[in-house]
Amino acid sequence: MARYLARRLGQALLVVAGVVMLTFAVMRLVPGDPAVAFAGPKATPEQLAAARERFGLDDPIPLQFVNYVRDLFTGDWGTSLRTRQPVRDDLYLAFPASLELVGAALVIAVLIGIPIGVLAARYKTKFPDFGVRFTSMLAVSVPVFWLALAMQLVFAGHLGWFPIAGEYDSSLDSTSPLTLWTNITIVDALITGNWPIFTSTLEHLVLPALVVAAYPTGMIAQMARAALIEESGQDHARLERALGFGETSILTRFALRPALSPVLSLIALVFAYSIVNGFLVEAVFNWPGLGRYAAESIKSLDTPAIAGVTLLVALVYTTANLIVDLLQGVVDPRARAR
Amino acid sequence: MRWHKRLLVAGVTGVLALTASACAGGQVRGAGGTPQPQASGGQSAAAQANDSTFVYVPNLDVVTDWDPATSYSNEIIALSNIYEGLTRYNSETRKAEPRLATEWTTANDGKEWTFKLRQGVKFHSGAELTAEAAKKAIERTIEKKGGAAYIWDAVDEIEAVDASTLKFTLTYATPLDLVASSGYAAYIYDVDAVDADGEKTAGTGPYTVDSWQKGKETELTLKAFEGYWGGWKPEQYKKVAFRVTPEITTAWQLLQNGEVNFVQRLNPQLFQQADTTAKVQTAQVPSFQNLLVLFNTASGPAKDDRIRKALQAAIDYDGLIAALKGSATKASGLVPQGLLGHAAGMEPKQDLAKAQELLAEAGYGPDLEELKLTMTYAQGDEDQKLLVTLLSSTLKKLHVTLQARPMTWNAQWDLGKKQGQDIFVMYWYPDYPDAYSWFVNVFKSAEKPQFNLSYLKNAEIDAAIDALPQLTATDQLKADMAYQDLQKKIIEEQAAVAVPYVQKYQRALTADIQGYVDNPAYPNVVFFYDLKRAS
Repeated sequence: MARYLARRLGQALLVVAGVVMLTFAVMRLVPGDPAVAFAGPKATPEQLAAARERFGLDDPIPLQFVNYVRDLFTGDWGTSLRTRQPVRDDLYLAFPASLELVGAALVIAVLIGIPIGVLAARYKTKFPDFGVRFTSMLAVSVPVFWLALAMQLVFAGHLGWFPIAGEYDSSLDSTSPLTLWTNITIVDALITGNWPIFTSTLEHLVLPALVVAAYPTGMIAQMARAALIEESGQDHARLERALGFGETSILTRFALRPALSPVLSLIALVFAYSIVNGFLVEAVFNWPGLGRYAAESIKSLDTPAIAGVTLLVALVYTTANLIVDLLQGVVDPRARAR
Repeated sequence: MRWHKRLLVAGVTGVLALTASACAGGQVRGAGGTPQPQASGGQSAAAQANDSTFVYVPNLDVVTDWDPATSYSNEIIALSNIYEGLTRYNSETRKAEPRLATEWTTANDGKEWTFKLRQGVKFHSGAELTAEAAKKAIERTIEKKGGAAYIWDAVDEIEAVDASTLKFTLTYATPLDLVASSGYAAYIYDVDAVDADGEKTAGTGPYTVDSWQKGKETELTLKAFEGYWGGWKPEQYKKVAFRVTPEITTAWQLLQNGEVNFVQRLNPQLFQQADTTAKVQTAQVPSFQNLLVLFNTASGPAKDDRIRKALQAAIDYDGLIAALKGSATKASGLVPQGLLGHAAGMEPKQDLAKAQELLAEAGYGPDLEELKLTMTYAQGDEDQKLLVTLLSSTLKKLHVTLQARPMTWNAQWDLGKKQGQDIFVMYWYPDYPDAYSWFVNVFKSAEKPQFNLSYLKNAEIDAAIDALPQLTATDQLKADMAYQDLQKKIIEEQAAVAVPYVQKYQRALTADIQGYVDNPAYPNVVFFYDLKRAS
């Protein structure tokens, strides 16, 4: 297990190092002077020179790279040209909000996706299977911004069941201020027992989380269905049938555990994917998350911020994959040998 | 005790312990952790007292720089309500009006300015506004050299003659009353109280910061400064919140729902809808920002003024305005309406016959040689893209091929400084309400072009531009005429530029707001102190 772990960790570090080099290269390849983006559209030559000096843009490129890597290690991820705040501080605010949204969405996706996957596998090629396949196909293929706008218009605008936008009712900040521990609002509200903010966040979370959940739910349902059907055709399933177990119990008691292995990899993948690709949903629902931050940074060509987001996402990707690899080792001991 | 009751007790104890430990060391989000009583209940006591929060919807970050000396970005909306200058510009009278200065005089041909300061004004820090404090603030702004600090370039010496008299000696004549009304770099503040983190404010304005949470949806909230020199009436807004909403449709839904009061910008379709929606009012006013299509007068085919004049005549000005669906108005000259020097009756018109004739004279046209021109414009700007599309299709008929490249500003500007294109498209706006900005920055000769991206070099025009500040300071009638004359020279004689449109602000507000005036000298700013809530 230790060797398995070490190998995976080594691979992850290589990926991150590659991403660091790539982001630095892209940052320097973008045409135009980053100093202009910082000093403003009407900067005087002196102001431009000062900005260039401040960011070390006159240094030779290899030295700039060494400084960049050194700063990353010391926790200095640069200063955003747009918000003028340290990128690390910006990410520290945006990332937990995305984690909250995507986390909630994945809980929904797993809670719905796996049971309906089991249902479809149990009634393969029968009506429930068709229903599940059709809806999961729909969930995967519907454009997410359309779904976000439609849900907002119907359930928040017309019916008024949910708030239109935001993470929680910000007037609560003065009536019941939240003590921050993890910076994830709903978690902090829960552990500090701040019920007004907790319920408000929950209300605000429903619509965006459902929209973000659509894609992973469909993927998970389809993957679970396929893996279960494959498992139920294996030798052990024949034995279980011979021993007199019913189909439902074969699927849930014996086939589900080995079938979860590919589903877990998929969850890690959609998790990292949703963190950034949720930006359309975040934009529609005013969710102050990472996707929105990334989109605004790209629009204003804020290279330090873009590099910061890229690096963070690479870290999330590798960490999520690492965790899944470890979990797979637990769920399916055969994985450790591979 | 049954097992599940024990579990419940254990759980409750756990949560309580967590809560206790949480309160011990975590960081509290929001206004310094001081809970404020929700203002409610007291409605019957003070019938018209306005205890609601005015909610402004910007589409981008609210504050990027808290320093009143260097601030040069979106935060003008918030800072204009926290800080004040000596004067404030009125775009209807086209004059600076008293703010922290109650009166002023100029002497020595506009090279000496004396401002009388308002009595009994207090900074948020508690210090009193004196001439000495104002002098220190302006001197600090000049020394910082950030943002728009250049507006004080003419100042040689500032003198606090007595506690309420501030005297400026200039190296060259300048309308200092207009400079002092700038939305950038002209704030008077307590230099000892400047705080880069925005927790304290050092201004004299009607509002101070209540909370600032970078990156959050409600990024900034303001509260009334009780010691404001103007005093407070019950119906005014005492609380303001900024709710960042990048998505226009979301902003529109929040407005319809009454959750927010002011939307900075809607798209033309939604703006039309807002116009006919109950509970919503709209306001539109031309801005001080116009689009400049600058022709390369120094090199390439456009060096020939016949080509430049043909291009001016080829632009479909009316078609463009129609396609922009109300988000722009037709320009008349270089100086937008509301500024001294605005020339009425200079609206351009498309004239294809004239364009074809001029091109033919220069040796190009449908039966002659093909003309190829390069053009750069702002990436992601749909309005500029519309201009490019319309112009390309018109020029194609005249056998002119337009190679238009959308670029980010820094890339476009870099190329422009190297004379890398035939046509350079950009917006221009003045930092303080004076038309001089267009002329000195964009059309005065420069060895190394900075914003002079038509590369115009004309000694006569330069001399006329240099005379403008003194005229504005001493004789506004003559200044007005000089501006009109210069615009004719630059647009009609030199054909260095075409000005297709002036951007128009289209705001949507809830119907219960009274007293809103859109002042283009302070882009996107709402002076919350002037607003009332109708009962």
